[in-house]
Amino acid sequence: MTGFLQQAITGLMIGSLYALVAASIVLVYKATHVVSLAHGQLVAFGALFFWLFLGGLGLPFWMGLIPAFFLTALIGLLIERLTLRPLIGQPLIAAFLMTFAIFIALEGVFVLYLKGQTRALPTFLPEGNLDISGLSIPINQLISFFVAILLFAAVSLIFKYTKLGLGMRATAEDHRLAQSTGITVRNIFSYIWILSAVVAAIAGIATANVMDIYYMLPYIGINGLIVAICGGLDSLLGALVVGLLLGVVENVGAAYLDPIVGGGVKDVVGYVVLLLVLLIKPYGLFGLVRIERI
Amino acid sequence: MRPCGVFDKSYALDLAIIRTWQHWVILISALILLFFFPLFGSYYIISFMNYLAISVIVGLGLQIVSGYCGQISFGQAAFMAIGAYTSAILTIKFGFSFWIALPLSGIMAGAVGIIGGAPSLRIKGMYLAMATIAIHFVVIWLILHMEITGSFKGLFPPPPSLGGFEFDTDERMFYIIMTVMVIMTYAARNLVRSKAGRAFVAIRDNDLAGEVMGVNLYYYKLLAFFISCFYAGIAGSLWGHLITVVNTEQFTLFHALEYIGMLIIGGMGSIPGVFFGVLFIRILNELVMFASPVLAKAVPWLGTSPAAALGLSAFGLALIIFLIFEPRGLAHRWEIFKASYRLYPFAH
Amino acid sequence: MGKWSAIFLSIILAVCLSVVGLSSSSFAKDKEIAYLSLADYTGPIAGLNVPADMGLEDYIKEINSKGGVDGVKIRFIGIDTRYDVARGVSAYKRYRRTPKLLVVNSIGTPIGKAIARLIERDKRLQIVPGDGEFQAHIGRNFIWGPAYQDAFAAMMDWVMDDWKAKGKSGAPIVGFISWDSAFGREPLRGGKEYAESLGIKFLPPEFFPPGTLKHDVYLTRLEKAGANYIYAGGVEPTPTNVIRDAHALGLTKKIQFLNGYWGATLLGIGVHAKALEGTAIVSFFERGEDALKNKLVTDLWKKHRGSMDKFNEVYGMGVSWGMTCEAGLKTALKAVGYEKLKADDMYRAYQKLGGLDKHGIQGPCAYSQTSRRGSLEVKIYRVKDGKIVPITGWRKAPDGVSLHKF
Repeated sequence: MTGFLQQAITGLMIGSLYALVAASIVLVYKATHVVSLAHGQLVAFGALFFWLFLGGLGLPFWMGLIPAFFLTALIGLLIERLTLRPLIGQPLIAAFLMTFAIFIALEGVFVLYLKGQTRALPTFLPEGNLDISGLSIPINQLISFFVAILLFAAVSLIFKYTKLGLGMRATAEDHRLAQSTGITVRNIFSYIWILSAVVAAIAGIATANVMDIYYMLPYIGINGLIVAICGGLDSLLGALVVGLLLGVVENVGAAYLDPIVGGGVKDVVGYVVLLLVLLIKPYGLFGLVRIERI
Repeated sequence: MRPCGVFDKSYALDLAIIRTWQHWVILISALILLFFFPLFGSYYIISFMNYLAISVIVGLGLQIVSGYCGQISFGQAAFMAIGAYTSAILTIKFGFSFWIALPLSGIMAGAVGIIGGAPSLRIKGMYLAMATIAIHFVVIWLILHMEITGSFKGLFPPPPSLGGFEFDTDERMFYIIMTVMVIMTYAARNLVRSKAGRAFVAIRDNDLAGEVMGVNLYYYKLLAFFISCFYAGIAGSLWGHLITVVNTEQFTLFHALEYIGMLIIGGMGSIPGVFFGVLFIRILNELVMFASPVLAKAVPWLGTSPAAALGLSAFGLALIIFLIFEPRGLAHRWEIFKASYRLYPFAH
Repeated sequence: MGKWSAIFLSIILAVCLSVVGLSSSSFAKDKEIAYLSLADYTGPIAGLNVPADMGLEDYIKEINSKGGVDGVKIRFIGIDTRYDVARGVSAYKRYRRTPKLLVVNSIGTPIGKAIARLIERDKRLQIVPGDGEFQAHIGRNFIWGPAYQDAFAAMMDWVMDDWKAKGKSGAPIVGFISWDSAFGREPLRGGKEYAESLGIKFLPPEFFPPGTLKHDVYLTRLEKAGANYIYAGGVEPTPTNVIRDAHALGLTKKIQFLNGYWGATLLGIGVHAKALEGTAIVSFFERGEDALKNKLVTDLWKKHRGSMDKFNEVYGMGVSWGMTCEAGLKTALKAVGYEKLKADDMYRAYQKLGGLDKHGIQGPCAYSQTSRRGSLEVKIYRVKDGKIVPITGWRKAPDGVSLHKF
């Protein structure tokens, strides 16, 4: 039983990272209806900027965090202004391809900087393990877990109680309707990309803390996408719940199914879950079911 | 492409794909040129055209399911893998000849495609697209973990042969691949004008409306997936016998994304669009790949690997710029050009 | 919009034309041969490829600046395949008819396998990573060093020595964890048989996809099964990440971790010195302190790349490829002269390179009519106080390939 719980907790910690990446994708989808692949790179660049300030320049934690957010937000803003805004009114699949193109272009920059090497973030969180009745939890991951939960709460509160959030919700509902009530939809798009980029940067920093900064880091964007779809593309709650769930399922699946099928379950279990969920709930677990009119 | 003043004078003419004698001349001379190409084309161009033609076959299939039927599929690379593996298994383990294995691998991929396309009955849009990504990974995982597919070792299918004549070089395979491509293009061109094609378009434009009008959604969605995967399977089989090695590293998600990219660049819902898209992406890819050593040579302080990374960025950047200016694809531009040619010399 | 797209299209056209123009004008008038590297500069194994090709490129530059090998210069062509088979095949076909293309280095086993038939047909030679298959079926594919299974077997020898040195009785239990791919499983084909012949108890191997976030599941399972040694496969930074996770779980204290030759490098140690402490690494090329002491390699690096803090030992392996190519070219030129030189002559020359001294970077070359191994010897290293120090001398790796039925 402790074995199972231990795996589940490790899964939860990883799941919180997936949830964060998914959250940034969900935010963009909610307002602009663009499914973004580019967020994998935002995650990577967030981590890279943080490393540059912390590890490269040796600045203290907060001094590294703020400019990293700023620069990632800048990339997010530039993506929106330069590449996605000209596509407003064009087919959404073209916008999806655009995010893929952005992914490739940024990946070129990412590998150009890394040259195939690895960068590890300096330890900025307390190390060690927390031992509770036979279960051991790394403290730094526990912290990033709670940061993730808090972030979800914060974003939800922004959505619920601020004027900006109201605008975002209205935009999510219907672009034209929002425009006619005096909301500048284009500005909302910019704000949402900035917010989403900051969430992605936090996800990146938290992920790089676990897996370092190297070639594979941007590909967590695909896991984020699975989670976002599974949870429902327009649901933040879905991103959180499914993110945590996916982490647990992957880990527990690898723990109990690997010996039966001969390894490599982690590769595929997430996708099987995705298929099952979508077959039962076509709009994801928490997604808004749109009633279509002919 | 018809100049101004040419009209269809009979119903049969209106229905024809090729309507004027000029078209026949162009078509036949193009075909002759294509089939005599290996006599004067350089080896690299021929091998590259093989690759292009295989991509075109995959793209045509994808065009039918995504461009015409509106079901975005990222599973095309996986279905290509199924075709390649089926063909390899049939020729190696069961001693079939390539000529039987080729259609069988298409059918096999199509059959799996029906299973893979089944979620489309419930799922739509981006949700379906992600489901097909899931199918991609599940298929690749299964291939990697099954015994009959040679698991991680891969398979080595022999080159096709006909009465002792081995199609074992790019120049020889060129004829098989081009013949198949021409047949498949003709079939696709006709299919989208048939009852099924119209049903696909109805489903794409609004599936509920289509259903109300009497289109059997289940049947036609699955049919679209079957045809699309059939194309992918045929292409996979050709690919396997062309390079005579099949392993899972050849069929990555990146390729599947590339195929969708080709479709969007070329234009959704257009058969010529597939050709435009394939040409654009593949040529851009080759340019980037071969420009980086030239760049590295021209700018020695840069080094080889940074030049390659810049090439990757350039590829992405070219795609971005293209999408900003032509989000509806080259086929859109082609239609505009055709229309203005039809009106020339009049303004409207 | 019309104007803009016209401008855009003309820019693309201009770029195309200039590329075509540049690539056709780049043929030099000197006597030269071509060396094609189908490398992965921007993909999953870039960490290994980039420094290796740097070494090769610098060494070739060095040769060329001295007037080449008997007056024949070497042209290095590095193509980025991104570990993509289709791109690799396409790239090879692009350069297939290049006059005097003598050596093709396919970095990445899938690409090597995909173009092996073409290489055979062109009577050319190909150098590929360490798959034992290329030794089991002698062809035109030469591997860089000993095969993966040979190096793994050498590691198992060391495990037995270490086990006895610790004064323990019985057989050690060894776990294996690696990428879920052909490359990841390759050491087991022959390596497992060898380990079992030594009496080692071999646990069911664990496989995970590259880019996995945490490896806790696999590590705890191996620990539960009582592993005394765990071999972490994959290409850097995967082995480092596995061991870092093990360190966080506190496993590195009771379990000895082992790396293959694509395991932790100086750069990896620089990143996670504490976690990697004590890890044993089997390598066919010089690593760590040894590599830093090799004047030939470090001088070359300093001359072309500047400061030593970004130095990676894999660079030395690239230099070693350059030496092989140089010696092979010399032999081939002696046999037939430049005018008649064909790819097949280089293939024959490579088979005569047995015993070629590699200035200590790697054991003496072992290519011959019946051997496709780049060298037979390996050294075991260990991470000690943040440094990679040798704990054995060069020792001959056992023949793991012959134990497996390919």
